[in-house]
Amino acid sequence: MLLSTIVFLPVVFALVIALWPRENSLRHLALGFSLIEFILSLKIFQQFDPSSSSLQLVEKHMWIERFGIQYFFGIDGISLWLVILTTFLTPIIILASWNSIDKRVKGFHAALFLLQTAMLGTFLAFDAIFFYVFWELSLIPMYFMVGIWGGTRRIYATVKFFIFTMVGSVLMLIAMIYMMYLTQEALGTMSASLLDFYRLKIPFVGGTLLSLQSLLFFAFALAFAIKVPIFPLHTWLPDAHVEAPTPGSVILAGVMLKMGTYCFLRWIIPLFPEAAEYWAWLFLLLGVIGIVYGALVAMVQPDVKKLVAYSSVSHMGYIIIGLFVFNSYGITGGLYQMLNHGISTGALFILIGMIYERTHSREIARYGGLASVLPIFTIFFFIVTMSSIAVPLTNGFIGEFLILMGVFEKNPWFAAVAVTGVILGAAYMLWMFMRVFFGPKGELVSDEHHPLHDLNAREIGVMIPLVVMIFWMGIFPNQFLDWSKASVDHLVKNRSSYNLTIKASGSHDPQALPEEAAQ
Amino acid sequence: MNMNIGLPDLLLVSPMIALFLASLVPITIKVLRGNQEQPALATLSQALIGLVAAIALLMVFGGPGQTAFNNSLIFDGVTQWMGIIAMAAAAGSMVLMYENPATKGRQFSELMFLAMNSAVGMLVLVSAVDLLMVFIGLEMMSLSLYLMIAMSHEEKLSKEAAFKYFVLGSVASAIFLYGTSFIFGATGSTNLLGFMENAQRLIVDNRLFLFGTCLVIAGFCFKVSIVPFHAWTPDVYQGAPTPHTSFMATAVKTVSFAAFLRLMATKSLIASPNLLDILQWLAVITMIVGNVAAIVQNNLKRMIAYSSISHSGYIMIGLITTGVSENGAFGAGSVIFYLLSYAMMTLGAFAIANLMERSDSHIVNIDDLAGFAKKRPIMALCLTIFLLSLAGIPPTLGFFGKFYLFSAAIGEGLLWLALWGVVNSVISVYYYLRPIVVMYMKEGEADIAQHSLNATMVTAVISAILIMSLGMVSGPLFEAVEKSLF
Repeated sequence: MLLSTIVFLPVVFALVIALWPRENSLRHLALGFSLIEFILSLKIFQQFDPSSSSLQLVEKHMWIERFGIQYFFGIDGISLWLVILTTFLTPIIILASWNSIDKRVKGFHAALFLLQTAMLGTFLAFDAIFFYVFWELSLIPMYFMVGIWGGTRRIYATVKFFIFTMVGSVLMLIAMIYMMYLTQEALGTMSASLLDFYRLKIPFVGGTLLSLQSLLFFAFALAFAIKVPIFPLHTWLPDAHVEAPTPGSVILAGVMLKMGTYCFLRWIIPLFPEAAEYWAWLFLLLGVIGIVYGALVAMVQPDVKKLVAYSSVSHMGYIIIGLFVFNSYGITGGLYQMLNHGISTGALFILIGMIYERTHSREIARYGGLASVLPIFTIFFFIVTMSSIAVPLTNGFIGEFLILMGVFEKNPWFAAVAVTGVILGAAYMLWMFMRVFFGPKGELVSDEHHPLHDLNAREIGVMIPLVVMIFWMGIFPNQFLDWSKASVDHLVKNRSSYNLTIKASGSHDPQALPEEAAQ
Repeated sequence: MNMNIGLPDLLLVSPMIALFLASLVPITIKVLRGNQEQPALATLSQALIGLVAAIALLMVFGGPGQTAFNNSLIFDGVTQWMGIIAMAAAAGSMVLMYENPATKGRQFSELMFLAMNSAVGMLVLVSAVDLLMVFIGLEMMSLSLYLMIAMSHEEKLSKEAAFKYFVLGSVASAIFLYGTSFIFGATGSTNLLGFMENAQRLIVDNRLFLFGTCLVIAGFCFKVSIVPFHAWTPDVYQGAPTPHTSFMATAVKTVSFAAFLRLMATKSLIASPNLLDILQWLAVITMIVGNVAAIVQNNLKRMIAYSSISHSGYIMIGLITTGVSENGAFGAGSVIFYLLSYAMMTLGAFAIANLMERSDSHIVNIDDLAGFAKKRPIMALCLTIFLLSLAGIPPTLGFFGKFYLFSAAIGEGLLWLALWGVVNSVISVYYYLRPIVVMYMKEGEADIAQHSLNATMVTAVISAILIMSLGMVSGPLFEAVEKSLF
């Protein structure tokens, strides 16, 4: 029941918040709820067996028998950290938006918890249609979050976000239904279970797009590629990021983009091994283009939030190339980079939100000399910048290093181009840092009428956990990677005939039962 | 021909009889009171009791293979489900009539009488397996409806709508009847059950039969507004009082599709690939035209009208699936399930439109919704649910409706139709989001009726709750529908 509780408890929270009569205690209540959820999610560690590559803590019930659609939650080393990331970021987001969300507070927190359910469900669902429900559900709260609490062009941004994502999703739905019929042919009964999908042998013919596996591959890949987003499908991202309120940007960058990359790892690579192998060049190429393009565009942005948004495009490019080299380094690095990006980019958006609350401007040119006025803010910003440009001892270094190792092993040329992204990344981040924090004081910083105040206790409290994680993950990566190692190794080793077994609940015997026996 | 009318026959048609008798109650009382309206709530209650009685009798006496009057009426699962959907949708629309400024007040008893007689026609239509009975059902339903629209208090648009609907509807009925006569000429029978076995051979060999079938299909296409027979829909939907539009878009459409489904279930079309191709293209074009035209509408009712055209296109996919499959139960089940979800969400959307109408000639534009979320948060939430469901976003019922429809189509190898369907779902998202954007994200003072329309709000809330909750149990529900068919 643990996973169901974790997924659906936020819905209960959302309802309580929607019905809560008093407006002024709402934020405390929401913060308390999100902490309860976080602590509950830590209970997973207690029950999770890191030595096993099978699916654990499984909950499986028939939902729509006619189509073999199940209520099916499970967790393995690949989804484990993304779940924790989601529950970890939510209290931080609530605390960070304490003052910035000042209208329709109730609706905001209800949407936030609904979104949390959708995201957790996406990471934990192992049935295609059940997964699809969560995947699509995540759009709705985000749509409102950007549309109601966003900036001036919020409506354009949010509709664009919704429709872009929807385009990919519906083709995926058709592909899913088609695969359900394939399971009916192969296994006798229709099933939407991902584990049954894994057992399908889908015919593949190289050299053409029109083989079944390639078509299904692209139907799925389009949905996930839009979500990631992979160049050239990224155009919704800068709009959504810039117009979203700070908490929206943090969730979008921190978790929702990871839904795309996670699904590449969960669905695409094991489900369509031949097609993924055959088309890997395309994704490596687009990933590398994304890295360089994102970095170059970020460099010329006058708006600091837009700069971070484009840096996301660049960072997500790393994750994609890491995943599509299919070796242990690349995939581990990709997985680690998902977490890193969630924390460091999330932190950057929070910091930008904090300064925006003070000056109501994000234009780099209007700042300058901030370091002498806001020393604590500067220290935090510096640490997060270091993490973002992957300086050793920070988490970013581990992720990018592993990815580049993996890519180098597969194809040195791609690695060589990807490395330029690291340099460019350092260039645009440090250049921005220099212009904002050093040099002569800008008009906003030297404004006598509106003196700037350094971070208060609440804001420091928001940043401390993020900074701790940056160093913790940078110095002791194995404490994190060990939990995922078995699952990643299993995926890398058995990629061409991947299967996932269900670990018998309650037993600590690493001998996992095959799927049929568990039913 | 044996013309004896036995008790079993009368028991089977008892829903229609009961409903007709109930329809006499309000006007009789009005006469007895010296042409004075009784309280509107009493009239409404009598109508609802009639509808509930009809549903109950339909459930009790209907069953697989139950036919009446020499196989001209059948009371199988399709009849029962479609009848229930139509009666429930009619009941919901009548509740809206009770509170709409263009329909309440004087002549409410007459209105209820006509609405219930239209519902009797609907019951005939859902149970008819004889083309002549279909015609009788269609005419009974439509004639009452023309009058209902024409007697609205609103002066200009509704008269125009009634006239347009009457003229075009009559032409369509004539085409339908003309087609029926060809079929009769070719086969000597107008009973769908009668020529079911021979249909596949006839449609290839007999030109008369093919021509007649085409005309009958054209007649149906008009009734369910398939492009290019859709031109009346936006004008009539917009011009008619909102409750009547709701009545037409939900109940009338459901029963027309029921009759269309009967024709498709004869499976005569498998043998004629050309006809099948044409129908597939009609479905695709209907979806595209409906959705693209809806994008540019500013009037809320007109937008829903075009959206309802596009939904006819989706349902057409299910009809074609039924027509080509060996066992039509999956396709037909998906059609019924889709109609169930469609009727509920459309009724809900019109309930909200009803809420927005201040006077009998007030036109509700989408921009009028600005600020609605602040003023009526629960109603705004309901409308959001209806629109998301119409767009097919999970976990609403609309998503499951589309899921079953497309699954059935893919199962019959109609992958490309399903692809067109989902592409259109994306297009439709754009305009379904617009009212939501306006409600929640634009500042304004939503101009809504000052007096609170309690019954309308209850209708909306019930529909919204059903849409959210039935999605969760859609599996057993769908199976129940599918198992009870044929």
